[in-house]
Amino acid sequence: MRISAQAKQENRARILEKGAELFIAKGFEECTTRDIAVSSGLATGTLFNYFPSKETLAMTMVSEALNRGREDFRRRRTGEEGLDEDLFLFIASGLRRLRPLRPFIGPVLERSLSPFPRKTVCPEGEAARQEHLDAVHEILAMHGFTKAPDYVAVTMYWSLYLGILAFWAGDDSPNQQATQALMDYSIRMFVQVISGNGADRGEEHAD
Amino acid sequence: MQIEEGTVNELPCLKQLMMALPGENDKDPAGEKLAAILNQVPARKVPVSSFSRLWILGSLHAKVALGYLTCWLRSRFAEAGEKERLRNEAHLTAALQLLGTMGYMRGAVMKLGQLLASLPLVVPEEFARTLASLHFQAPPMHYSVVREVFLDEFGREPEELFASFERRAFAAASLGQVHRARLHSGEEVAVKVQYPDIARTIKSDLRNLRILLQPMCMTADWHNHLEKLADIEEMLMMETDYQQEARFGREIRNNFTSEDRIVVPRIYEEYSTRRVLTTEYLCGVHLDQFLAADPDQELRDHFTHLITAATMRLLYRSHWLLADPNPGNYIFMDDGRLGLIDFGCTRVITDEEWRLQREFERAVINRDEAGINRAIARACLYNDPEEMEPERLAVVGRGALWQMEPWKTEGLFDFGDEEFFRRGIDTFLDVMRRRYDRGKPLYLWTNRFVLGARGITFRLKGRCDFRKIYEQESDACL
Repeated sequence: MRISAQAKQENRARILEKGAELFIAKGFEECTTRDIAVSSGLATGTLFNYFPSKETLAMTMVSEALNRGREDFRRRRTGEEGLDEDLFLFIASGLRRLRPLRPFIGPVLERSLSPFPRKTVCPEGEAARQEHLDAVHEILAMHGFTKAPDYVAVTMYWSLYLGILAFWAGDDSPNQQATQALMDYSIRMFVQVISGNGADRGEEHAD
Repeated sequence: MQIEEGTVNELPCLKQLMMALPGENDKDPAGEKLAAILNQVPARKVPVSSFSRLWILGSLHAKVALGYLTCWLRSRFAEAGEKERLRNEAHLTAALQLLGTMGYMRGAVMKLGQLLASLPLVVPEEFARTLASLHFQAPPMHYSVVREVFLDEFGREPEELFASFERRAFAAASLGQVHRARLHSGEEVAVKVQYPDIARTIKSDLRNLRILLQPMCMTADWHNHLEKLADIEEMLMMETDYQQEARFGREIRNNFTSEDRIVVPRIYEEYSTRRVLTTEYLCGVHLDQFLAADPDQELRDHFTHLITAATMRLLYRSHWLLADPNPGNYIFMDDGRLGLIDFGCTRVITDEEWRLQREFERAVINRDEAGINRAIARACLYNDPEEMEPERLAVVGRGALWQMEPWKTEGLFDFGDEEFFRRGIDTFLDVMRRRYDRGKPLYLWTNRFVLGARGITFRLKGRCDFRKIYEQESDACL
């Protein structure tokens, strides 16, 4: 039986919604694809038509939250920001959208975004990484860095970002304030490094 | 020593300090290398223009605080036995490493620097001034951080909450920064925003400080030091709660009427939380700007009178001490009124502390020497003056009596008298040099207050009828 595109979309949205509920309730590790399928009113096999694995499902949630975060960033940006402010606003907007997923996000990020060599690469994780770095490049370009940052700068940025994500996932301070302090410090450090001496906010040392 | 342009590199760096510490194969068991480096601290140029970057600021303060604290501990090494010395070294090395790794330094180290600046032993005047200037020169949070604080506290952006909100802070303090804004109802307000996670930073830094002080655990006054540290922690924690500050602000405001010419800004509760404090904006200038206009003696006396009256009113009516007498907390308004702001560091004097204070005051005014000595002994945690070494009693007594000189003087008291001011500083230095610092924690704050406030009125070169103000305020509270 063929189902309509609308029904497909509804199924997909339901799976994402029920999946998030179950991940929060049972934890990512404890929750199975069968649990999610049952909760969504679908056969397990049908669920796989939408998401080939639990990791892909969870990473899709992360990816969609980060997409919304990017939209928020573009909406919130006034154009008066320095490079450090822009990067802070960008990362903070993403984290705010990720907040509902925080209870289970640790293992998801570990499996899908780990920088260490893995047997299987999560395509959703890889796509999310690329989209994030493209946005960073766009931000750098807005501040006069016309050439794409070299792999050292990109690796450094990505390491800082993953460090912030990892810290945030386990941050028990109210509203993850400790992460905000870490972000501020990390971003200033990154801007200092790519600017040469950090005596400005990036612009003077842009290409 | 002159203040000169310089860089942080001219101060002994952490690495130098670490290397100077006695190690396993140490050839400097008496710590002479360390002593030599630390002795250079006051002789080094003071950096006055390098506060622009957070990390430089942080490391500068670590070095300054570290240098002073290590200086304080140095004598303990010389006195200690070999075994204890080794244990002390281990503790100190660990503490230095911890301090060296602190990244986000806007909290306790900065406050600590200010506290150290008010301790006479460690107060080369230029350092005190440099550290004190941090009230105005701390690097601001950028606006993106401020927006996140607002989203967390109010669920709205600053420009949604207010009719207008200035992106750039107009004043900075150690725990936060202040932005100008306008309410939808039209009032101009000052919005203080706290740095993220400052309370935890302070707690963690104070934990490190306790480790740093561990080598003193065998000394007679160790418990007294711990008690003082606990008092400092309590005050700093209170300072991180802007709702507490709002409560103080409201009550302080109720103490003054328009006739007093003393203005305490109104608190806007609906725009305030634990981390954001919105108050009425007071239009005026700070001390430096006020003095730059070369005010006449009458105006200097007028503001000295108001500063004294405000302090005495709160002391005698509420038993509250504004323990952070930073020049930035006084606003000299064009119409001659004095604005009082920032009540985060308000020390509530307990009934027992207050009774002792009043006993001492009466003894001083009645020139009752036995009563004066009894009160001093109790303040220094002795049961009786007989228990104190005569020299300690004499030295501490000189300091206490200097503090009380305005109480004893009829007519105009001249706070601009250099001889009086210098004598007070020398007396405090003497107390600290001889390590006669044992005493109730309250005196940390009263000393800080007296030195700070007299520093301000000295710079003002102002006079007032202190005795009359005292009599009015103390009679009013009976």
